[in-house]
Amino acid sequence: MAIGILLALVGGAFVCLQNTFNANVKKRVSVWSTTALVLFLGFAASFAAGLAIEGAGLFKFQAEPWFWFSGILGVGVVACVTQGVQILGPSRAISLIMVSQIFFGLMWDTLGWFGLEQVPFTWQSLLGVVLISSGVLLFQLGPKLEQKRFMNVDTNTLKADK
Amino acid sequence: MKGIMFALAGGFFLTFQSVANATISKEIGTWQAAAMTQLTGFVVAILIVAFIRDQSYRQLNQVSPLYASGGALAAIVLFSNMTAVHRMGVTLTIGIFLIAQLVMAIIIDTKGWFDMSKKKINRMQIAGVMLMIAGVIILKW
Repeated sequence: MAIGILLALVGGAFVCLQNTFNANVKKRVSVWSTTALVLFLGFAASFAAGLAIEGAGLFKFQAEPWFWFSGILGVGVVACVTQGVQILGPSRAISLIMVSQIFFGLMWDTLGWFGLEQVPFTWQSLLGVVLISSGVLLFQLGPKLEQKRFMNVDTNTLKADK
Repeated sequence: MKGIMFALAGGFFLTFQSVANATISKEIGTWQAAAMTQLTGFVVAILIVAFIRDQSYRQLNQVSPLYASGGALAAIVLFSNMTAVHRMGVTLTIGIFLIAQLVMAIIIDTKGWFDMSKKKINRMQIAGVMLMIAGVIILKW
């Protein structure tokens, strides 16, 4: 449990770091070229880590056919997130994406689809997810609401919308 | 409305991806799963680049090598995500991932690191993170 929490904290921090780096790449390069580059480097790094840790054992595995299609999900992520951000703007899109993520997580734990260990649904876990979602919304949209009060004073703050 | 649907679908795909990665890694190993999902994703992405005749990769030499190599961080992200999902399920993993993501965003924004425009920390953001931490505690109590 403690290791899981620690890993999730490290992982989340690196997601943010990676998103920041990618945002800088996208200033010059299109979304799909950036995605291809990011996935290629992700492959190279995972391959190198696997080779360093497991040696030739890395190549000994029996994959079910659908495993080879898992990468399509990543492409679905990029396509939907990019469209969402374009239409709604970053803060609103990202807050919705995060809320959707955590609710689908609860659904998935409850249903135990795809070989995931089933976690029985409780009202307490729903309350937890609702609180997390409210926190996300406050984080992403709160600053905008505060800024509205000064809208006539300083229009520059409105541009700082990320 | 269309934007909302895209954002919701984006969240669905992100969660689906975590679950699929965790399941695949259980069957064939963590690094095998990480390498496989990244490679197959890359193949699809490069096909899209070819299909839309996207040539913008030529401007890659104008991007700082540090930023251009960000993709390699996926090895750390995938390893921690898969292991965390195995140990405590997908809801809790996502909850803590989101908290770490937003706290890191606050740090980067207030320091103005990595060419991000410097922003002051906002009270609402602190309150938001507090609410999320409370949510995670209740989720696991």
